[in-house]
Amino acid sequence: MEGHAADNRKSAVHQGAEVAQFSVVGTRIRQPDGPAKATGEAKFAGDISLPGMLIGKILRSPYPHAVIKSIDTSKAEALPGVMAVLTPDNVAEWKTFDRGMKDMPLVAGGYRVPSEEAVVNKVARHYGDAIAAVAAVDEHTAEEAIELLEVEYELLPFVLDAEEAMQPDAPQVSDLAPDNVGKHLFYPYPEGDVDKALAEADLVVSGVFSTHKQDHCTQETAACVAYLDASGRLNVWSQCQLAHLGRRELASIFKMPVNRIKLMTPFVGGSFGQRGAVCAEPIAVALALRSKRPVRLVFSREDNFLGLESRTGFKKIDIKMGFTSDGTLTAIKTQMIGTLGGYMGCGPMSSVIGMTLAMGHYRCPNRFGEAHMVMTNTPVSGAMRGFGNDAMMFCIEQLMDDAARRLGIDPIDIRLKNAKEPGEIASMGLELESTYMEDCLQLGAEAFGWHEKRTQAKKDEGPIKRGYGMATMSHCTGAAPLYLEHSNAMVKFNEDGSADLTVHPAPVGQHIWGALSQICAEELGIRAEDVHIVTGDTDVTLFEYGSDASRSTYAIGGATLRAARQAKEQMLARAAEMLEVPADRLEVKDRVVVVKGRPDKTVTVAEVCYDAIYAFGGRATNFAGKQSFESTWNSPTYGAYFAEVEVNTETGRVHVPRFVTAIDCGKAINPMAVEGQLEGGLQQGLGYALTENFIVNPKTGVVETDNYDSYKVPGALDMPDSTVLIVDKPDPKGPFGAKGVGEPGMVGIPPCIANAVYDAIGVRLRDLPMTPERVLEALTEKTEGETETVRGE
Amino acid sequence: MFRLLRPFEYLEPSCVAEAVEMLVRYGEKARIFAGGTDLVISMKKRQIVPDYLIAIGHLSELDFIEAEPNGTLRLGPLATHARLAASPLVWQRFPMLATACNEVGTPQVRNMGTIGGNVCKAGPSQDTPPVLVSLEAKLHLVGPSGKRTVPMDQFCTGPFCTVLAQDELVVEIEIPPLPPRSAGCYKWITKITATDETLAGAGVVVVLKEDGSFEDVRIGLGSVAPMAIRARRAESLLRGTWPEAAQIAEAAQIASEEAEPRSRAAYRRRMVQVLVNEGVTEMQRQIAASMQEAGR
Amino acid sequence: MKTVATFTVNGLPHEIAVEPHQLLIEVLREHLGLTGTKHSCGVGNCGACTVLVDGTPELACLTLAMEVRDKSVLTIEGLAKEGLLHPLQQAFVDYGAIQCGYCTPGMILTGKALLDDNPDPTEHEVREALAGNICRCTGYVKIVEAVLAAAEVMRKGGN
Repeated sequence: MEGHAADNRKSAVHQGAEVAQFSVVGTRIRQPDGPAKATGEAKFAGDISLPGMLIGKILRSPYPHAVIKSIDTSKAEALPGVMAVLTPDNVAEWKTFDRGMKDMPLVAGGYRVPSEEAVVNKVARHYGDAIAAVAAVDEHTAEEAIELLEVEYELLPFVLDAEEAMQPDAPQVSDLAPDNVGKHLFYPYPEGDVDKALAEADLVVSGVFSTHKQDHCTQETAACVAYLDASGRLNVWSQCQLAHLGRRELASIFKMPVNRIKLMTPFVGGSFGQRGAVCAEPIAVALALRSKRPVRLVFSREDNFLGLESRTGFKKIDIKMGFTSDGTLTAIKTQMIGTLGGYMGCGPMSSVIGMTLAMGHYRCPNRFGEAHMVMTNTPVSGAMRGFGNDAMMFCIEQLMDDAARRLGIDPIDIRLKNAKEPGEIASMGLELESTYMEDCLQLGAEAFGWHEKRTQAKKDEGPIKRGYGMATMSHCTGAAPLYLEHSNAMVKFNEDGSADLTVHPAPVGQHIWGALSQICAEELGIRAEDVHIVTGDTDVTLFEYGSDASRSTYAIGGATLRAARQAKEQMLARAAEMLEVPADRLEVKDRVVVVKGRPDKTVTVAEVCYDAIYAFGGRATNFAGKQSFESTWNSPTYGAYFAEVEVNTETGRVHVPRFVTAIDCGKAINPMAVEGQLEGGLQQGLGYALTENFIVNPKTGVVETDNYDSYKVPGALDMPDSTVLIVDKPDPKGPFGAKGVGEPGMVGIPPCIANAVYDAIGVRLRDLPMTPERVLEALTEKTEGETETVRGE
Repeated sequence: MFRLLRPFEYLEPSCVAEAVEMLVRYGEKARIFAGGTDLVISMKKRQIVPDYLIAIGHLSELDFIEAEPNGTLRLGPLATHARLAASPLVWQRFPMLATACNEVGTPQVRNMGTIGGNVCKAGPSQDTPPVLVSLEAKLHLVGPSGKRTVPMDQFCTGPFCTVLAQDELVVEIEIPPLPPRSAGCYKWITKITATDETLAGAGVVVVLKEDGSFEDVRIGLGSVAPMAIRARRAESLLRGTWPEAAQIAEAAQIASEEAEPRSRAAYRRRMVQVLVNEGVTEMQRQIAASMQEAGR
Repeated sequence: MKTVATFTVNGLPHEIAVEPHQLLIEVLREHLGLTGTKHSCGVGNCGACTVLVDGTPELACLTLAMEVRDKSVLTIEGLAKEGLLHPLQQAFVDYGAIQCGYCTPGMILTGKALLDDNPDPTEHEVREALAGNICRCTGYVKIVEAVLAAAEVMRKGGN
């Protein structure tokens, strides 16, 4: 079967002239895991069954802040089939942890979060905090046992709003933050004198924005299977995106050497950052250790909404930007107040990462930013696709539009004017390796019909007002230099010329196995289907930081490329002996080693590998490469986004009929996979902008949106007609020129839609989500004010 | 937070009479089970914990879609939303009912859920009740003391409350024919996404006299009050008149005042206004156009 | 009280003792080991547990097992025949319509019911049919393309 999959009809790849000719990289291969997933054969954590396995279940607090005075477990324990009950009073033998796993020395420019969360907690800090758990012979018995637990609560005063939590008399959420400010953080790359620059600016645009807590809504809920085997090794099937860090965290909590834990990664039904934190693992492992039986713990959808980290919402983002009259950006000043929830988790860094990426997107000589990340009695905040860049770009790209309008400059031109060029310092404080934002803007504008649409007179469509908007963004490729950036790969040749690649990315659906097989095959001179991925077992894989920060293709791909090169060099050395020419005269393509300039003089890769493995007489060897990759650079990915919206001025509903995304992600290893990331990002960005809303009842602290009946993600009928364009020009440092593309898909969406809404109805929506009520309210204010109202100015 | 159900006893009556006997015997401990799409969710949430489920899904005597020569439509409570939406009998006679059935839940839920369940749940945000109210449908109930008929607008007494006695069963939904020169529609807006719950729904029936004046108008509102209601003040403002845009808008405004929404109240009222205005205007135009067509 | 009943799943009869309160999804996953039917929201909003009951897409997490005793249930495991992927499965693989794969079984089965009923759907009809199946990865673009492509293959009678 040919390895190439179907062509996509609405997207296009625009190759730069300088792109080298590849045979595997750049092709639309099918994913190796496709058939398993299409037939139902693929095993996810919740699909795993072991002999004698128990089912776990969690009891969650019905109050936003309460001391668990006591839990009467007698009725539950008397129920036949109940094998373990965990309460806050019987989990003290295990260490506390920070679910964001940031108590480890991972963060170079960030912070360390002390551990403060127990397997189950004595003080519930938010509605839905885990306070007890059971393991029983089946799920029915586990559910019944949970219902039989009798809890005595002592209710504590609670605070839900970040600004209220900063008031001196507010209830205290955590001992670690007496003033509820969990972290007071600053933009790590300040420059110039921002106040002076703002005072001297020809134009200052500003606004106060807010963003909300978005749930990842992974289709698979959190799940974990754990058991302690007869030899005392802990076997864990974990969805953790950062498998080796997950293993280390479990080793710390349960006081075991890391190599007594075998952490296995099954297929994972989506992650988007949520599995970058500890999820179901601590309770599943604790239940397994206590019951001495295998335990499977699968979260309900409600468990997922309440118990896991979701996107950090910002109560307030106050931004001022200064410009000269020709549209040159001279200053950005940011003040953020973020809502962390009951535990610190990954949330605080979303401010720093967001400011870093967004305030470094454009050339700007004066920059300052500050964030108060505040603890509240609400579910925990953390990282989701975009990690703060989404929130910051929502603000900055709207203000860029404001500036363009005030200065009479086309929105595209003002962005081009301030775009950085290679050689300048990029957002992450490192030299900018490559940027093709101009290409993105050109391609996107052309496909969208930007110039025609923006200049033509608008038709009268009654209550429907049509608008066109655009936005840009850049995002990191990996987290260097702010976080640990360390990947490893092993490549070995088999005797038939096929190869096994041992790596440990998180298989969360991003087509990473396919991309890594392409990088490996391209370098080895074989086909993608010749590469088998060995993965998902910390016993076998070398250390891998994991899949986050849009890094897998870049960093794990980087390690793969190096390891493949090492194996290839060994193979070519042997081939050189067989062909009796120096190795540097050889090249390998499509499974054949050829002497350059002598197409008749060849040997197949299979023949060389067979010769090496089955050689006798002291020359036997197995070609294998093992290489590390620690990035010391970071090539941002750039994107341009174009939206058409219809705003119904009677209902306040915003409909997006058309969307164009143009992306500079370097060389697209598999254009079909890149499109998939951007098309999926559009669904999440659209939901973040318009339909999704994590609502906590302001009086009771109860989460009102704990399932899909109340929390609405866009469905097939809600999506725009989408076009994805790939610039496809290689980055000098990425493997075969690739850059990251996991997060960019969603970052530019909300500001793009907001700018289109402004174009349609002339009002700025500065609060996410842009609900119908907010649209109508803004329209009313505009009418009442008689002149154009720009709130926050 | 629970994914499974607590144990219960599963009863399968062989006919309606036996189902009623079971209801009499088990009283409040029993629930009628048909499509299950609402009841199973309530049972997972432990909002309803029945000891007995009386499964009626297999009773073919409750599963029909029939039309009489005079135009009356008779629906068995087990007719699923999907079948109703696709039924030519429904489409031809009461397209507004087909529209409403097509708006319930997702395609899968429409394949499973029944109109009887939709009506008996009596949730404030069901789609079929506002339509049935405006069509002046009647529910036929059977209990231990025999049959009785209840007009749809007297069936619900509050959110999730009906006049259905513990030992009664809905056995038929009867929709009387519309007079000549009439048309009806269902207008709705969802909470936010396409398959979301309905935020506000309006069943609108307009009957014109030959002179073009409004002989009758019926406006059923859903999702904006504890139960589906008739906007009777708005109706009476229009009845007997030749309303122009301003008067229809005024009626729509009054309809929005008749609504008693709980959450998102201001927005829901505003949407009632939009939907009623749209529905009445469109139906007036539609009938006038077909009268003109017929007059040619 | 347990009832021994015959369930026809993927064309084969299975005699299983079930409790009345057991859901179809439990019987499929726990008794028959057919874990391709996925649990996701539990409240009828996501379509991950979609199976075909007598050819119609229904939700296994809202269906009592007792209710399908006399009916024919098709799960994702029953779709490929003799190791050959169904055209929809093949199109999902070919068009990159599978990312994490968790919604995939429900999507494919819902798509199958659509194409069995309407062999030549428009894009909008595909979207309407899939409106009850949530995907968080693909933005539905490649899923819709795959269903349309599979429809074409099936119309030509191909596999």
